[in-house]
Order: sequence, then structure tokens, then C-alpha cells
Amino acid sequence: MAGRPGLRRRLFLGGLLACGIRPARAEGRRFRIALANLDETPGVTLEGLGFTGAEVRRSFELAARTLPVDMLYFDNAGDPARAIANAEAAIAAKIDLLIEYNTDREANAEIARRLAAASIPGLALVHPLPGAPLYGPDNRAAGGIAGRALGAFAVETWPGEQVIGVLIGDLADPGPAISERVKGITDGLHESLPSLKLALLDTGGQPVRADALVAKFLQTERGQHVLIATLDDLAAVYAKNAIEMNRRQSDCIIVSQGLDRNIHGSASEKKEIDPNNRGSVVLGSVAYYMDRYGYEVLPLALRLLAGEKLPPRAVTQHILVTAANVFREYPPFDMN
Amino acid sequence: MRIVGLAAFLGISVLSLFGPTAPARAEADCKALVAPSPFGPEDQTGATNRVTPAVTKAAAAEIQTGVVTPMAYPLADGVPLFGTRFSKTVLTSFATMPGAEFGKNKLSYMEDTYLSQSHVGTHIDGIGHIGVQDCYYNQTPMGKYITQNNLKRLGIENIKTFATRGVVIDAVKVFQAAGKLKANAACKRPCLDGGTMITEADLQAGLKMYNVTLKEGDAVFINTGWGDLFEQFPAQNAAYNGGEPGITDSAAKWLASQKVVVVGSDSWAVEVIPGEDKDIAFPVHKTLITDNGIHIIENVRTQLIADAAAASKRATFFLSMTVPKAVGLTGTFVNIEAIQ
Repeated sequence: MAGRPGLRRRLFLGGLLACGIRPARAEGRRFRIALANLDETPGVTLEGLGFTGAEVRRSFELAARTLPVDMLYFDNAGDPARAIANAEAAIAAKIDLLIEYNTDREANAEIARRLAAASIPGLALVHPLPGAPLYGPDNRAAGGIAGRALGAFAVETWPGEQVIGVLIGDLADPGPAISERVKGITDGLHESLPSLKLALLDTGGQPVRADALVAKFLQTERGQHVLIATLDDLAAVYAKNAIEMNRRQSDCIIVSQGLDRNIHGSASEKKEIDPNNRGSVVLGSVAYYMDRYGYEVLPLALRLLAGEKLPPRAVTQHILVTAANVFREYPPFDMN
Repeated sequence: MRIVGLAAFLGISVLSLFGPTAPARAEADCKALVAPSPFGPEDQTGATNRVTPAVTKAAAAEIQTGVVTPMAYPLADGVPLFGTRFSKTVLTSFATMPGAEFGKNKLSYMEDTYLSQSHVGTHIDGIGHIGVQDCYYNQTPMGKYITQNNLKRLGIENIKTFATRGVVIDAVKVFQAAGKLKANAACKRPCLDGGTMITEADLQAGLKMYNVTLKEGDAVFINTGWGDLFEQFPAQNAAYNGGEPGITDSAAKWLASQKVVVVGSDSWAVEVIPGEDKDIAFPVHKTLITDNGIHIIENVRTQLIADAAAASKRATFFLSMTVPKAVGLTGTFVNIEAIQ
């Protein structure tokens, strides 16, 4: 194993770093990095949000433009066996590092074993890869941001008035991400509104159902203000439609999760969160920046390749994006 | 009440949104945000100050065959625009009906009205187009100089002339020669893909291809092939607007150091989109227009002159382009011709 040139180089670089010397060679050379993406099937969205595999991949393509890396891309297509085969192909392609985005725990364990055998470091995206640093969202924190924003809005706008909370999304999703977000939202709401009651409306993974669910809820629950936390942006758009159709704009407010293009818009698209649309019932959305993963993860990969020891987990810096800051977070480029 | 509450929650006010004298605008330190003009503190003209009689006379020597090559696209319904932007014409006066003619000679006439935004089609960005906060070219605090109708400083009426030498840089050929062309499948001809960065090294390689050295006062046009999507309007409008190949900010700084007067391209922003830094909006616009008073021309039909250069091995020409003295405008659609 010690005879492998790749490992010798990494040990050498690590040794230099341990002595406080920054390795000059790492500055001058290019690295081959592979991204094994979760699922690039058209129409498939990831992590209960509105982002697609194509957006994740594109973020790596864009970030790589200014970095000393040559990228190889693989699509795991949501298939554990394919993920293992892709990892094997990446190893055969003599990559310097693999960024693995795969949900299946057993497949990830096998991939980690094969990477270790080939002395190739890995970096896990969203879901753990044994022995590899992990980058991903902090679902609890993101939920908390939404919950606190809704609570603060109610305290500011409807002090002393009847308020009820509503949580809408794919609540039955068995993954830990959803339950973490729900917990964060609930805790955040209860920080300023400890006795707030929460109604749960399950879309069953079909955001369009938020329209009918919210409409029915608003027709039965009159006389109180409604704080709505949606688990994805498309559900927020449909919930907003139900609010407008029922003419309840004056006593409903929505905060969503994701900040995907369904809600911040992009070129030539309707921008729900927009400085010119500050009266919208969609107050904002908590940014997950999945369409910018490449900008966060590739610098981590380069640090790892330079021999630096990374913390076991790095997380997205989520913020609430509203009409007041959306153009700073996502500068629109529909100007010419 | 809810909207008032929402505004308060977001910490905004109507004044901060629309008032040109609102504190946030007035407090911007324009000397810190924008470079001073090399043409003096009162200058409103920008880089066309460089088009001196000597520059024009030298440029006239570029006319050798008299061949005129169009460099503007027809401004027609359906060309790529963003969102609610529009460019429409209305035939507002006509006298062709029997009895409506004038005089015994039955003279008839027609006139029309433009209902159009200025930054549409092949168009020039004036130096009043781009700023940082309320600070524009020559450290001008534009909040003091805008009305509902137009600009009171930096309008396009201050432009001098573009009677200068034009230079076409064929980035497609540069990338082909370097073996790094990553095309877009929607392009019928070779084109650089959206997001492709054109660096100063690429520009220099393109100049070297035709043995051209930039001179002060030159007008530079970059052919990326992206205009192929414009020409397919409306079928490829979304693809055209969805990004573009273009120059990097460092390439823009290099062009500025060459003291050019205008940079144009067959794309809608000249600069690479998505940009190099995800958090920085339109850095090339800021570098060229705001910091250097160099105009940008977008949606330029560069392919024909690039083809002409490839055929004649000559990438320079006399630039024929005039800009109307439309007072207080930030830009206007233009017609451009290359005369060789």
C-alpha cells in the first residue's frame, strides 16, 4: 500500500502540513475529482426539496471553472448497485478523490471499503460515507430559522390575537431530514409562541396537494391568523394560491424550506420572493443552496487533498431569504 | 394592516425603496465605490473621448475593399427578451384610405410609434446604465440626477463618436484551436457553451490569430457563437437567456487597460453567465462601464464579420455606428456595420 504513488504523495503533503509547511506542489497541480451524484433523472427532486440532480452537478461544473480540478461525473440514479459500480469506475479512472452522494447506507459502506483499498479519499455529500468528512444541510437549524421567523412575525403583526400554526409537506417521508426539519420548525415556533397549536397537513410527496389541503383548512378554521410552514417551496406556492383563492391574505403568512427556483425565480421566470413583491404572503424561504454545493464542497476537497484534516461534518449556512435580501443571495441575471 | 406589518417586519419603508434622497442612497461614498474618470471630474462622456480625429483618420485606412458587413440583428417581435420586456411598434398614422389623401396629388403617408425599452436587440449600454448603489461612472451620485423620465447626467447624448477601428476576436476559433471547445447542442454552428469563461489569455490568442495589437480607441467585438441561439428566435430564447459564454472580470480589466472604447459580443451581457463568483452580480459591467466609462454592446451579430475575417485573414475594420442624441437615456438599440 505504501508503494502507491498517490498515497505517498498524500502522506508527504500531510507531513509537510504537520510541520506547518504549506505544500507548494498542491498549489501547482490539477486534481482529478469525481462526483457520484445521487440522481440526475429528469423530474426527480432531492431531499424533499425542489432541487434536482442536474442543479447539483451544474454547481460543480461552475465551481470547477476557477479551481485546479478536472471533474468526472457519474449518475448513481438512486440505485445502490449503480453507486457501487460508479465508485469502481471512478477508482479505475485513477481519480484523486471521490465525492459520493448516495443515500444507501450499505452501498456507502462498500464504497468506503473500496476507496480505502485504493487509497483514495472520499467526501460524503448529505449522507454519511464511513470514514469520510461529510458536507450537508443542517435540517434542524434550517427548520428552526423558519419557525422563529413565523413566531416573530406573529408577535410583531398580531400581538395578543388568535394564531394557529400549520405544517405542510411530505410529513410521512421516513427519512431523518424531514423529521429534523419538522422538529426545528416546531421548536422555533414555540420559542416565541409556547402554546401555539400546530396542524399537520401531509401532501404525501405531492406539493400540488397543498392547494386543496390549505383551502379546506382555511374554510374550517376561521377567526384566527395562520402561520404556515411548508417543507418545500412548491408546496408554498400552492398554499399561497389557496390563501389567495380564499381571500385570506390578511391573516396568513408562509415561510418555506429550500429557496429553490420555484420561489426565488431566475431569468424570465416569475419571482415569488422579489423586492417588488414585498406584500406577498410568502414571507421567505430558508436557503439550502443545493444548487451551490460545488462552490462549498470543491474547496473542502482541495483542502483534503492538500493533507488538511477536515472536521467530520461541515454544514450549509442556512439563512432566511426574504424580499429584502433575495437579490443579494441570488442576484438575478435577467438584465440586458 | 398585514402589509404594513410585513414591511415593518422586514425593516423597510416606502422611502427606502423609492426615494432618491433616502439615507441609504445619500450615504454611499462614491469615491470609495467607483474609480475616478481619467478624463476629469466633470466628464460625462467616458471612453469615446479617446476617439480623436487622429484615431478616426487612422481607422479610415481600414477601408480597403469597401465591403460592408452587417453586425446588428433585426429588431423584430420574438427576439430574446427577459420577463416582461418588450419592443413593439404601432402604425399610428396613415392616410391610405380613399378620401384621406392630401391635396389633389393624393399624397398619402404613414408614421409609427415605438413602444420599446431601450436595452433590446442589438443595443449599447450607456455609462448611466450601471452603478454600485447610487454611484455611477466618474463617482457620480446618481440619486441626485434622476427624474421619473430620464437621467440628468451621463445620458447617451454625451457620447462623442464611434468612428474608430473595430477588431473582431473569434473566441470560437480560439477555443477550437486550443482543443477546449465545449459546445451547446442547441447551436447549429460551433459555439461556446453557457458559462464558458473567456480569459485575457484567450483574447490575446484571438488577436494573435490575426496579428492584431489593440490600440487606444479600438472597438472590440468578441464572437462566441452564442448568437446562433439568438438567430433561432423564438425557439431557443430560453436557452439564449439561460446563461452565456463571456469574458471574465480580469479579461475586462485587461481590455480596459488597452484603452478600448467599447466591448461587444453576440450575447446578452458580454460577460460569462453564471459568473465566476456566485455572489457577485455582473462584475464586467461594473469594470467596463462604471469604473472605466467603456461601453458594452450586446446581441451583436458577430458571426458574419468573424467569417469575413477568417476568409480575408483581416480582423480589423472601420466601425460604422451612430447613437441618437436621445437625452438622458441609459442605452439604445443601434445599427452597426463593419466596413473593410
